[in-house]
Amino acid sequence: VSAPLSTAPLPTRELEEIAADAVVRAKNAGADQAEAVTGASRAFTVNVSERKIETLKQSASRSLGLRVIVNGAVGFVSSSDLRPDALDDLARRAVALARFSTPDEANQLPLDEEVAGDDGGDLGLWDPEVLELPAEKKIAMCLELERIALEADPRIRRTDGASFSTRDGASALANSSGVVRSSSGTSVSTWVVALADDQDGKQQTGVYGNSKRRVRDLETMEAIGREAARRATARIGARPVPTAKVPVVMHPDIAGSWVSEMYDAFTGEAVLKRASWLTEKLGETIAAPMVTLVDDGRMPGGLGSGAWDGEGVPTRRNVLIERGVCRMFEYDVYHARRAGVRSTGNAVRGTSSVPGIGYHNLYVEPGRETPEEILKRVGRGFYFDDQGSYGFNSVTGDYSFQAQGFWIENGQKVHPVEGVTVAGTSLEMLKRIVAIGNDLKWNASVACPTLLIEEMTLSGT
Amino acid sequence: MLPDLETLLPRDLVAELIALARSQGAEFAEVYGEYTIHTAFSLEEDRLRTSSYSVSQGAGIRAIVGDQTGYAYAEGFMPGDLREAARVAARIARDGKAGERPAAFRVVDRPAPFTLEHPAPQALDESGKIALVRRANDAARGYDPRVHEVSVTFADASRAFQIGNSDGLWAADRTFLSRLSVSTLALEGDSRQSGFAAGGGCVEDAYFEKDRTPEEVAKEAAATAVTLLSAKEPEGGSYPVVVAPGWGGVMVHECFGHSMEGDTIRKNTSIRAVQKGQQVAAKGVTIVDSGLVPYSRGSFRVDDEGTPAQRTVLVEDGILVGYMWDLLNARITNNRPTGNGRRTSFRDYPLCRMTNTYIEGGHETPEALIASVPRGLYCKSLGGGSVNPADGNFSFTVTEAVMIENGKLTHPVRNATLTGNGNDAMLKIDGVASDLKIDGTTGSCGKDGQWKPVGVGQPTLKFSAITVGGTA
Repeated sequence: VSAPLSTAPLPTRELEEIAADAVVRAKNAGADQAEAVTGASRAFTVNVSERKIETLKQSASRSLGLRVIVNGAVGFVSSSDLRPDALDDLARRAVALARFSTPDEANQLPLDEEVAGDDGGDLGLWDPEVLELPAEKKIAMCLELERIALEADPRIRRTDGASFSTRDGASALANSSGVVRSSSGTSVSTWVVALADDQDGKQQTGVYGNSKRRVRDLETMEAIGREAARRATARIGARPVPTAKVPVVMHPDIAGSWVSEMYDAFTGEAVLKRASWLTEKLGETIAAPMVTLVDDGRMPGGLGSGAWDGEGVPTRRNVLIERGVCRMFEYDVYHARRAGVRSTGNAVRGTSSVPGIGYHNLYVEPGRETPEEILKRVGRGFYFDDQGSYGFNSVTGDYSFQAQGFWIENGQKVHPVEGVTVAGTSLEMLKRIVAIGNDLKWNASVACPTLLIEEMTLSGT
Repeated sequence: MLPDLETLLPRDLVAELIALARSQGAEFAEVYGEYTIHTAFSLEEDRLRTSSYSVSQGAGIRAIVGDQTGYAYAEGFMPGDLREAARVAARIARDGKAGERPAAFRVVDRPAPFTLEHPAPQALDESGKIALVRRANDAARGYDPRVHEVSVTFADASRAFQIGNSDGLWAADRTFLSRLSVSTLALEGDSRQSGFAAGGGCVEDAYFEKDRTPEEVAKEAAATAVTLLSAKEPEGGSYPVVVAPGWGGVMVHECFGHSMEGDTIRKNTSIRAVQKGQQVAAKGVTIVDSGLVPYSRGSFRVDDEGTPAQRTVLVEDGILVGYMWDLLNARITNNRPTGNGRRTSFRDYPLCRMTNTYIEGGHETPEALIASVPRGLYCKSLGGGSVNPADGNFSFTVTEAVMIENGKLTHPVRNATLTGNGNDAMLKIDGVASDLKIDGTTGSCGKDGQWKPVGVGQPTLKFSAITVGGTA
């Protein structure tokens, strides 16, 4: 049903050449310094609903972003038109735009010592099987996934769709200091949303999926479909509980999302602007002694892994919290110059924007207890495993999310809960982590094991 | 400057691509071409950090057979790339009878709901846009010595697009969006709080002088941050809530609007699919989706499938009377499309999406609604919100609120979260004021990974009880 994608790797050499060429054109147009990034990607997505294909989408994209510095001021342009005369036009436009920006001596390309380093060898980011997998097979897997979710339980009569997608991408960077770098990687992801019938026409949702670099790292469709169905049926009969201050067990999905929300406070940008709740906390104890938070740019097979950051600086393993102590903040070149430090390899970007500070693979190191052992420690409390999208204040660390989960009595989940919120402040929550599970699993570029937080405010009826 | 799209993507080529996309038996095919220019000027810490310009251009080709869609796109307008995309999209169908190219196109000539003589993205040059940014920065910093940091961005998008489809429809238009947004950080002792405000929409340059000046936007953002410094944490629990007019309409958008979109109705994944003719909101509540609201970023002449914008009544006096439809879901269910087929860019197929969604004004005064609450929360401004359309669970962050005690506004409150189930939230409205305001300046709605500008609106509304999350 679908055209085969080429299985040849994307031409990183050609992307490097286009980037280097754009830098030359920018210099010719009057830039003091220039940096170009190019990207190419191919993607295939099938969505299934009601046991048949709903959409089939195939794409191939190329794009370029060009940053120029003229008298210390920055101009930025991006386009998907990579023809030579179009690049000349873009280069002139970038130089003209820079004249409107404010000169700032922190606007620099990375120093030689910042870009020095090796590529770390094979990080396991490329899986040829992602490209070799025929479209028919991907479609069949997606249909199977939805079928398993539908047949897992009689109370599941429909889904909100199943999806299977593959992507491969390559990017290159060149700058006027002579740095030329490139990388490429694959990813595959699949998910299904199971809907279970509850009372009065209401439905309960169970979402589960995988996102991986390699096809062989995916769980079976059987396992994914059953887990989505289990999540949906477990919520049938969910009800609010009265407002109370209780211990909260955070499912890894919820804990990982909290860790990701907290990241902004660890960026040099927020710290410099004093917009971080960690501004004065470097070297201080900010979490329970069992907490170690790491950002590893070179984790083998990591979805956020890559040898270089968005400015060509080698990535590395940064320990942000070490046994409860705030050890460091993360920087791109601009904010490092402002703070008088070196880039930590954390410039992240696509081709359509200037770099910002971001994490690669961010995680809390696992503890020894199983999630079941953690649950048993709770006499009366809340098991928190689904949340609303908004509820975090990145300036204060205040946390307040719509929550779904289970009421816990004597170490057992006794009934599903919805219509409540869970609130606290991040500093307080970090210090009151009393257990960390051994269940660290990667399904994104952020991960956290099960956490037990001694007390949070649950608002309900 | 936007190019003439039809010279890049002429009708003859579009007709050929439609035929190619139907070569395997697709019943319907469509070619959407687009050329969009984005510019942005961002100021942080008193410095204009970056001035940027980007172009996004290409065409997306869709083939439909039954309820199945094939989609592919090409960056740019090279005929070879476009033909390849058409062949890929065509493969959604198999071994079917090839469809023909449209004999002639019928141009959709519905007049625009409003016209811009001097759209801001074009009427203002770089210096003019930067002047707005600097004025906002100065005003925010001058508001109070506790304002420590200010970030201001002026961003705009000028888009030319055209649609040709196998029914013979041809539509082309241009849209111009601009937005001035201000973020503030206020510090006092150990306390830090942030504020945000924005202005813009489908507006002319004069809007920023007459309707909403950079100074007004800046003062609003600064005042929020400063007020929150002395705000208290909310009391957790379920109690009466009054929501201010305008942006508060994000609640009706999330709690109700999403469950009225044609895809969820057709697939029966929304509880609303079986509620036509039933009471779904309190008496006195009328809910509308309209792409015709003047100067809103959710408005347009034709949607991204070429259907003219219209006003669609979803709920009349509490009774569910109509749904929103895009072309595909309308075709399958024998409904008429309502101008709700929208997509983020040529890289995406259209989805059924809201435009400007709002609750019509009633007869009460905002003062009377507040005075009727013995103990509750007045929500001055809401932040982000989300809903799960299948189970109806929603939540919103309240960026700035005020406690109501004995019918009077008392102290400011921060970090409240409103949560509940959309299935009954609209039934809990027990007061509708007459002060309808539609906010078409800043909203963007996300669905299936696609973001699209929208407007939301409401008059001051009173809810008998909503669960408020908090730590106090």
